[in-house]
Amino acid sequence: MKFKSQQISYYFFATSMLLLSLQLVYGLIMAFAHLGYDVLHEIIPFNVARATHNNLLLVWLLSGFMGAAYYIIPEELDRELVSLPLAFVQLIALVVVGVTAIIGFHLNWWEGRKFLEIPRALDYLVVIDVLLFLGLLGLTILKAKKRTTTSLILYFGLFSAGLLYLPGMIDTVNQTNDSFWRWWVVHLWVEGVWELILGSMLAFLLIKLTGVDREVLEKWLYIIIGLTFLSGVLGTGHHYYWVGTPQYWLFVGGFFSALEPLAFLGITIYTFYVYNRRVIDHPNKIAIMWTIGCAVLSFFGAGFLGFVHTLPGINIYTHGTFVTAMHGHMSFWGAYAMIVLASICYIMPILTDNKFIYSSKISKYAFWASNIGICSMVVSFGLIGLLQVYLERMLDLDFFVIREELKFFFACLICAAIIFITGISSFIFVFIKCGLPKTAKFNKI
Amino acid sequence: MLTKADSLRIFAVVTITAIFIFLFLSYDTLKKIPDQTNESNLTDSAIRGKNIWESNNCMGCHTLFGEGAYYAPELTKVYLRRSEEFIRMFLKDPNAMYPGKRKMVKYDFSDGEIDDLVSFLKWCSEVDLNGFPVEPPLKKHVTSGSVSSSVSEKKPEIFDKLCLTCHTFGGKGNRLEYAPILDNIGNIRDKDYLRRWLTDPNSVKKNALMPKFPLSETTISELVDFLSEQK
Repeated sequence: MKFKSQQISYYFFATSMLLLSLQLVYGLIMAFAHLGYDVLHEIIPFNVARATHNNLLLVWLLSGFMGAAYYIIPEELDRELVSLPLAFVQLIALVVVGVTAIIGFHLNWWEGRKFLEIPRALDYLVVIDVLLFLGLLGLTILKAKKRTTTSLILYFGLFSAGLLYLPGMIDTVNQTNDSFWRWWVVHLWVEGVWELILGSMLAFLLIKLTGVDREVLEKWLYIIIGLTFLSGVLGTGHHYYWVGTPQYWLFVGGFFSALEPLAFLGITIYTFYVYNRRVIDHPNKIAIMWTIGCAVLSFFGAGFLGFVHTLPGINIYTHGTFVTAMHGHMSFWGAYAMIVLASICYIMPILTDNKFIYSSKISKYAFWASNIGICSMVVSFGLIGLLQVYLERMLDLDFFVIREELKFFFACLICAAIIFITGISSFIFVFIKCGLPKTAKFNKI
Repeated sequence: MLTKADSLRIFAVVTITAIFIFLFLSYDTLKKIPDQTNESNLTDSAIRGKNIWESNNCMGCHTLFGEGAYYAPELTKVYLRRSEEFIRMFLKDPNAMYPGKRKMVKYDFSDGEIDDLVSFLKWCSEVDLNGFPVEPPLKKHVTSGSVSSSVSEKKPEIFDKLCLTCHTFGGKGNRLEYAPILDNIGNIRDKDYLRRWLTDPNSVKKNALMPKFPLSETTISELVDFLSEQK
């Protein structure tokens, strides 16, 4: 690595890996509960497992984004971070808040709002932590002599993500208002500003891995994020179909979310366009595989699978069923998990000065097993969702009758999840094998 | 040829326009929500109910307005689909209702808290959700062939919402394996037995699987009259 402060990335990535492995455990607990084996009900009831599974996802992705930002921004600006010790403080604070929240869930301490379960008192700590993070990077950018579009878009994305956390803290008495503000956070994150983070991380990786001129890359990056905002911001409407909000959202949400796949298709085409014009053959093939995989699966998960149930006429049947879980798993994996894993694959060998990741067969296995695993999981979720829509929304059968019918597919889901878990475990194994960041050469100076 | 400055301009114009339209629609929506959701009917009790709903993360298993998790039933219209008695009974002891089936956490709610949750669910059931949940298009409607019109006239209103949760009658209902079919129940049980059973199943049969419902005397009498005639 070029700068001493970039080592902080390693610790954020390590946190990500730890939380990711915990997330898998809670996912399994839920799948087994659906299968009828809710043996942990007394200690970890389903709602605890679910809140923990979702929040671990958010925290490990954020930790991954932060880790990547702490590497990318100094690299792009060609200067050290303003303060390395404060970055460590920020990491520790993030971990403390995350761990407290998760223990709190097990003690029935939460807000009980889908994806925003973290209790209000901790929300304030999250805000302080994010302000520290944004402050550190913001000051670094201000003090830098050169700034790049990629670093500015990344910072803008992170900044907006922090800002958009605030509407989730508005108190409401009306369930409809509650839902209204909740989607300002959740939707505008994942189908809005997080895509800026995705786009800029992708651009950074492509610049490094293909050697293509950044002017070309950054020009098209603007067009893609423009499309993202056009479709994503007004596409929020697809969450306002059935929650007690005016009917015009059926039209606005339907029309603009039908455009959302275009933004993701843009990302896919852009990646292939750039890759085919590569001027260097980077030896880190694994990072290239994850980067291209991310571009393909983000279109499939977030773009295509989102599109298939976004039109109001279909959504009225699929809203609140496992069809949503199918889309959710594929899109979070394809768009956000994969970009974090791609960044780890690119950044880790540089941080640790260890090329184990390049040559190891295990890292190839990790890529294929986790991707085949998650795709099979998504097929299982899709079948569960379709069967549920048919039995519950069309035939109106009894709840318990339907759940009995779904069990077979939950067994399939668990088999697929096991393949996925072997993939992730291999990834983490390779991560550990890479060792700690090499800071020796900085200490000498 | 498109330059980087052009594409920045396109990005800025598109984004600012989209955000502007979104903010305008949001403003309009916030103005219209009170009307569409009958906010004037939102009592203090219902608001307390919403807090209970949130502080126990009910959305972690159930869906409301289709939002939440898919481990437990959708509750938007549960107030209409079941009945107040059913909800009260269920919240008092969730595990009594469907013995041996998927479990809900036993929260030991006080009667006041149960009142609040009932008011909240009642308010939710009345919100205009633009047609959600949809009327099931393939649902088999049992025609009056098997149930004569005189039967349906005398049938107490609560029968379909409460009893058919587990029992079946005239081909309708959700048969749980341990709940008997009620079509000819009058042949095997007399009025006295039915009255004692509905008042407290446990006093008739030890460890009865059917829970004791908080039914009024009048409702019990109506149900006893109706059931004893099913021969």
